[in-house]
Amino acid sequence: MEEHIKKVYVPMTETGFYILYCLQEPMHGYNIVQRVLQLTDGEIRISPGTMYGSLSKMERDGLIRFIREEEKRKIYQITDLGRQVLSLEMRRIRRLYRTVEGRALEDTAPCSVELA
Amino acid sequence: MRKMRLFTIADFKEEEEWLEEMHRSGWKLIGMTPPCFFYFARCRPEEVVYQLDFRNRRDGYGSAYLQMFRDCGWEYVDSCMSFHYFRKPAALMEEEEEIFSDNVSRADLLGRIWKWRMMPVFFVFFGCLLPQIWQGVLGNVSRDMIFYLSCGILFLYLWIIFHVGMKFFRMKRLLRQDLH
Repeated sequence: MEEHIKKVYVPMTETGFYILYCLQEPMHGYNIVQRVLQLTDGEIRISPGTMYGSLSKMERDGLIRFIREEEKRKIYQITDLGRQVLSLEMRRIRRLYRTVEGRALEDTAPCSVELA
Repeated sequence: MRKMRLFTIADFKEEEEWLEEMHRSGWKLIGMTPPCFFYFARCRPEEVVYQLDFRNRRDGYGSAYLQMFRDCGWEYVDSCMSFHYFRKPAALMEEEEEIFSDNVSRADLLGRIWKWRMMPVFFVFFGCLLPQIWQGVLGNVSRDMIFYLSCGILFLYLWIIFHVGMKFFRMKRLLRQDLH
């Protein structure tokens, strides 16, 4: 993976993560806005300026590709490079999750760790 | 109603507030003519959020761009020199909404304006204005009207560069502080 991609996308912004996550299936920008609202119980509403800019940047950097246009809406899907970046992010987020759940040391030490 | 009001490229937040104030007092924006003419029509006084984006065709401005905003409930009003004007009634918002929802995209907006609007200013300033005045100061060229006119323009440019530069610097710093 190129240095530029790593620098810009690892770690990723919350917006970037949700966009890439949703584009595992083909969608247009407004689809993604609605899906993210569902996924986050209405907590994250990606605004149109942010969505449009993120999609353009990700397309330029080869993380997603333009598939077709339907009624002036551009439909995108994730690329192989996008999948690589997404899986790096998921691994990082799983590690964060294990840490906040107090299970960070489980893999190395089988016994439970008591925090003082 | 036509109103004349000058905003620099760094004053888009003030411009938004002014348009909101106009709408609150019953005047909605219907269009613009460069460089500084705004057209308003009478309307019911209402709390409406106005937002400006800057994007030219090379940055992807087009029908898909406007559709994205329409889908999200933002009405497109008009464009003026690559600035696009959107509005949405506050009553239709569930929480406070803006056209940008994270600081990365807000910083990108500043970057686009800087690249497409400030770079040409620097180009004219260092490429034409300074050499011309330099010639007038040092060379044998007579100091005619053109020389004094250039000096006037030089000071105008210096003011614009200072004003816009300082504002951009402050806005960027605020965004960075917010990120941490």
